[in-house]
Amino acid sequence: MKWAIMRQRYLAIALIGGATVLSGCSSLDRPIASNRDRGFDAKDLSQLQAAIYVDPDGCHIWMIDDGAEGYWSRRRDPVSGLPVCTAVAPPNSVVGDYATGGVVPDIRSAGLF
Amino acid sequence: MAHAVRFLAIGLLAFVPQFAAAQSGAISGRVQPGIWIDPDGCMHWVADGGLEGYMEGRVNPQTGMPVCMRVNTCAVTNSDVLFATDSAHLTANGRAQLEQFFRSAGAFAYAIYGHTDARASDEYNIRLSQARAESVANVARGVGARVAREIGYGERRPIAPNDSASNMQRNRRVEIVCYR
Repeated sequence: MKWAIMRQRYLAIALIGGATVLSGCSSLDRPIASNRDRGFDAKDLSQLQAAIYVDPDGCHIWMIDDGAEGYWSRRRDPVSGLPVCTAVAPPNSVVGDYATGGVVPDIRSAGLF
Repeated sequence: MAHAVRFLAIGLLAFVPQFAAAQSGAISGRVQPGIWIDPDGCMHWVADGGLEGYMEGRVNPQTGMPVCMRVNTCAVTNSDVLFATDSAHLTANGRAQLEQFFRSAGAFAYAIYGHTDARASDEYNIRLSQARAESVANVARGVGARVAREIGYGERRPIAPNDSASNMQRNRRVEIVCYR
């Protein structure tokens, strides 16, 4: 990783860490992760918009880009529970709109990371 | 729908083992996930950790199956409409209905699952439901639709107890899932 990129990442982490210390939250009380997007474009995570990522084996994975966070979870047939591996696109393709949108742009496409 | 979610949640709570953390080590943190429902109706645990995101499909602890709302079963057809008793040969009316369905459903591909009631042997029912799923799949292919899989589950996946004529009729079915 380039130094400039690492420096930006460390800065972001340092800022968030500092804010946590200032707010005086106990790490025992606060969940490590929760059901809310805690950014300033906060939303309920049930509203996420998914695209399909075709994995190298040709099977589908739901892919969501929520700005700072990305999510992957395997698509399984609701009746049989089997993975869904139809050839909608070649392996490693993403089909559909994976960005949930909101105020915060996707960090990578905005060129920050 | 909201009522169905609540019902399902109560049903699943029954599987959760009583608090067993004492044996499995010190608790190092807590996660409070939400539920995200995918376009097929299946649930996923999701949690936002600030700069990290976590997600995993929700499963039934006893069966390992995904936990899904019934939103993407494109069609559930009672087998009595499609086939004569003990036959995998489609009736003229059944074939016409299926052709119409596969021409208009517009999915990328289809999964076809055959089921029977619990009369006759398990082995016989597996064979009959497989042959019926194949008959339905052939209609799909005949009108140019893609078939992703065709499976006969026989009597092994009932949706009702096989304790009355009407419940057994519900179990005799062909389920079609649309892969959009």
